[in-house]
Amino acid sequence: MTDASVAPRAVRTGGLLKSAASLAPLAIFLALLLYLGVAAPSFLAPGTIALILKQAVPNVVVCLGLATVVIAGGDDVISGGIDLSIPAIAVLAAAIVAQLTTIKGAPIAFALAAGMGAALIAGLVNAFLVVVVGMTPLLATLASSSAYVGLASYVTSSRRIEVGDPFIVYLRDGSVGGAPAGVIAVFVLVLIFYFAVHRTRWGLNLQAVGGSRDAAEIAGLFASKFIAQSFVLAAIAGGVDSVFLLARGSGYAPGSEENLLLEMILATFLGAAFSPRRIVTLWGAVLGAVLVAALSIGFGSAGVDIFWTGCIKGGLILIVVASSAVSRNLNR
Amino acid sequence: MKSGTPIVAVGRPAAGWRDVFVRYGFLLIIAACFLFFALYNPSFLGVGNFKNIAEGSAVLLVVSLGMTLVVALGGIDLSVGVALDFGSAFAIVAMKEFDVAWYAAIAIGVLAGAGVGLLNALLVVRLAVSPFLATLGVYFIGGSVERIFTHGGGPISFRHLPEQYYAIGIGEVLGVPTKVVIAAGLVLVYYVLVERSIIGKRIHGIGLQPSAARVAGLKVKAYTALGLVVASATCAVAGIIASASLRMFTPLAGNAYLMNAIAATFIGASIHPHGRPNVLGTLVGVLFLGMIANGLNLMGLDFNVKAALSGIILVAALALAIAQKRLR
Amino acid sequence: MTSSSPDVLSMARVCKTFPGVLALDNANLTIRAGEIHGLVGENGAGKSTIIKVLAGVYVRDSGDVLVDGVGFDYVTPAKVHAAGIRFIHQELNLVPHFTVAETVFMGQELQGPLGVRSTTMRRAAEQFLEEALNARISGRALVRDLGLADRKLVQIARGLVDDKAKIVVFDEPTAPLASAEIEQLFAAIGRLKQRGIAMIYVSHYLGEITSICDRVTVFRNGRDVGVVDGVGPKDAPRIINMMIGREISDLYPAKNHRAGQPLLKLDKFGDGRHFRGVDLEVKRGEIVGVAGLLGSGREELVEAIYGLGRATEGRVQFDGKPARISSPSKAVDCGIVLVPRDRRNDGLVLDMTVADNVNLASFEEVTTALIVNRRAAAARAAALAARLDIRPRNVDAVTRYLSGGNQQKVVLARWLATGSRLFVLDEPTVGVDIGARAEIYRLIEKLAADGAGVLLSSSDAAELLGLCDRVVVLLRGEVTADVATSTLSLDRLIALTTGGETEKKDRR
Repeated sequence: MTDASVAPRAVRTGGLLKSAASLAPLAIFLALLLYLGVAAPSFLAPGTIALILKQAVPNVVVCLGLATVVIAGGDDVISGGIDLSIPAIAVLAAAIVAQLTTIKGAPIAFALAAGMGAALIAGLVNAFLVVVVGMTPLLATLASSSAYVGLASYVTSSRRIEVGDPFIVYLRDGSVGGAPAGVIAVFVLVLIFYFAVHRTRWGLNLQAVGGSRDAAEIAGLFASKFIAQSFVLAAIAGGVDSVFLLARGSGYAPGSEENLLLEMILATFLGAAFSPRRIVTLWGAVLGAVLVAALSIGFGSAGVDIFWTGCIKGGLILIVVASSAVSRNLNR
Repeated sequence: MKSGTPIVAVGRPAAGWRDVFVRYGFLLIIAACFLFFALYNPSFLGVGNFKNIAEGSAVLLVVSLGMTLVVALGGIDLSVGVALDFGSAFAIVAMKEFDVAWYAAIAIGVLAGAGVGLLNALLVVRLAVSPFLATLGVYFIGGSVERIFTHGGGPISFRHLPEQYYAIGIGEVLGVPTKVVIAAGLVLVYYVLVERSIIGKRIHGIGLQPSAARVAGLKVKAYTALGLVVASATCAVAGIIASASLRMFTPLAGNAYLMNAIAATFIGASIHPHGRPNVLGTLVGVLFLGMIANGLNLMGLDFNVKAALSGIILVAALALAIAQKRLR
Repeated sequence: MTSSSPDVLSMARVCKTFPGVLALDNANLTIRAGEIHGLVGENGAGKSTIIKVLAGVYVRDSGDVLVDGVGFDYVTPAKVHAAGIRFIHQELNLVPHFTVAETVFMGQELQGPLGVRSTTMRRAAEQFLEEALNARISGRALVRDLGLADRKLVQIARGLVDDKAKIVVFDEPTAPLASAEIEQLFAAIGRLKQRGIAMIYVSHYLGEITSICDRVTVFRNGRDVGVVDGVGPKDAPRIINMMIGREISDLYPAKNHRAGQPLLKLDKFGDGRHFRGVDLEVKRGEIVGVAGLLGSGREELVEAIYGLGRATEGRVQFDGKPARISSPSKAVDCGIVLVPRDRRNDGLVLDMTVADNVNLASFEEVTTALIVNRRAAAARAAALAARLDIRPRNVDAVTRYLSGGNQQKVVLARWLATGSRLFVLDEPTVGVDIGARAEIYRLIEKLAADGAGVLLSSSDAAELLGLCDRVVVLLRGEVTADVATSTLSLDRLIALTTGGETEKKDRR
């Protein structure tokens, strides 16, 4: 998209219509939550907030990863940045940790190191595919995710594995000053990511590369470096997420990556509606993840069939992307 | 220096390894894999084994044809598995619950697949959603719908299929498995339409540069919509073949074909002189993947090992195909 | 400016060869401190090559480059930037959702122990814009909310904000701007000159070159063929002469067409936003021009006629019958064709062959039973390529690598193949060098002579006068003049276009 297509004419277009288009998904979302609050009074109980936050924890971490890749690669999903393999990486790391600590009896620190190591390698593979081989991120991460899932089933022989390690249990049940330990840990992680991406020179450069690769390169930035780094960071986020996944699920369960993928995409792109500049941002993604978790809890409280939940979330993704496409067209 | 002569910064003249790789790269890989499997297990070279590969690739081939069409139009279709499942589900249920004749069931299945394509078309053409996101959404929704429909994901089997329908799966025509005949027939139809016909010229123009195609007076929206519908309908045919062989509908079975169809399409594109997705190249890609699966099978590996290896090989194959295309 | 001014840049006897092409043939370019130096030449004359050598994008084969008298060798773009040589490219290359401050400091952000210093950057950006470029723009404003001129100034600020710039190269800076915006840009350039910065101004717009530059170097066939000192508007013909080596009057062909029946008739045509109440008529065998500044509605009018935009008012009649053109395919069916402004994105499918592009709108002619007859298609394309003198002649060549002029000819060939009756040409010679331009003008004249109607939308007043029978002027969305060119002079047309004069429409 050249600058000419974002012509001053756009300013003359009804700003109201534009805002409506990009806020529509948010509005629908909130309406859904409102409806759920009415349909299931237990949803509005004070304990629910904590429940929602705990549920959101594994989603938030992968969303941080995806948001970083999108920020570095650009909002346009086809030609820009996206990483569909983060949930698969998280699951692979979880598989390794679970297998090592429960089946092989290794110390948790070693297992975690092995899991993170695998995640790092996965990130390097993704970066290689995108930057060196030149595959579009879409294709590259779609393909690599199938490899990571395959590896996960190889490691665990596709079995479910319980994990009872104290560290994992602490993340699930422990609390720090009244707040759940997992939530605090993730909050710190979010702050770190936020600072790196939005308050450092590196982060601004990352945003520049994603905003316009040509502009960044002319300004002397080496775009490929930043794109590669974003994929590695996203993979690390996936690796870190493995512990939260294990905590939430009390172990490893094969096939958990698909739902995580759905929610991650929904949350991250929904979050664009929250940012004043209508772009994908870290806080937007975090907020999106919390809302999506709220939806899940809400559906559960209202007794909605779990398969319908998936259907509705799929529909929401369509609404989110349709309205962002509409608002992008209005911006021309 | 004449005016009008472009000054093009030309790279170093092609020489040696690089040139060889670019021109023949993937074909060399295929040959290497072939040799490896043949050496590991000589029964790989039997005629019966080739028949196995062909039979085993029939469904993937049909799905890949649909994918090739959509990619040639400049998009991608992540919902091919959904269309496949809908095709098989509607056909099986029509015969099992409603006693519909086999040919009508096939028609219903294909229409169901076309319906999925219609939803894609609505999103992509009417609402201007990118094909990736639109078909991703349909992928998710479709999966959920299938789970709801089967109350949790169990298969619907129909042991007493009409024999003509069953014949699609296990029958033979002059010694060649029926499903291979159907797949080959579709390859022919697609080849003529996409590579040789006036429709194909327009499809490639639209896929390469939709804005220019539009200004040239081509009906971009109509072709895109039609392409999505035809592709999904084709995948439904694949679903019918799959359900005919197994005499059942398995929900979410279609997803297994998604990555392979994409890989086959891009491998096929890498073989093409201009790097364009094309029917014959996709055929080669499908046979390559079939050969890999068959070869791994003959090596007697554990299921999980095969899953991991297949995934890795797929990524490597795709990476090589695209690297080759880019170096051109 | 005394003759003993030190040269801030001296490029001497620079040679550069590409396989089969001698791009620079002992070319020289000398820039004095604090001057605005124009650089003109046809496409392919070498001016962009020598600039790329300066930028470190190409490595010269031989010759000397001295910056401030010091040899400048083994350069990389980074080293060039560090030496104070800055490039303001034609493409803005800005990030739409960035703030002005973030844009100005892109790649050179100020960072402290607690992270980036946003407030400092914002203030510094605003200060620089005001002092160095005479522009009052808020550092918090988003790029996508700025007008084109302001965006250009922000782009310039990014290149100069570190105050280390010594030489600034402008590449076609005014192409997308309207005259008021151009004035703003020139004022900014004047400010820079006061700071002692030397500037190289590369442009096809001779009017601007002669008004703003101190000296001009003309390139032709890979070398400098002359330097004009103390340049003014009077020097334009001499400069053109040096550029093309032949007389300017050769440029426009003799008029050999005659108007016939009305072909296109617009009645109170409008889209409710960009243009309103447009009455316009094009007859067979007539060339009608449309003039208008950026924002006058001219672009939208052309698009609406072709079905790329939506008209909400008025009526369209084509060949005597009412017509509703709602999409390009309907327009083509009627017999209206468009040669679009953006040739590379909208005109050609770049990665398709010449043959395919030429046949793209008329494959039916070489198709039987759905199958395309490849040989017939190639023959058809070859015939048209010969007729239009498309170079290289190979119709299996991919159009991406053709020059601008030849690409334009491919677009024209495509429409000739459809036997259309109304040709709408939108800026047909932008980015086309003078040699190819003359050929295209001859083609346009031939179109009209053969009985087609031509609607020519252009920002080049000389072109409009040279080719058209009448010119319709759009100003702020309305037709303010509809005049025969025989009664128009260049000055008057420019005055009408810029609103300096209004004219009653003369009835025919």
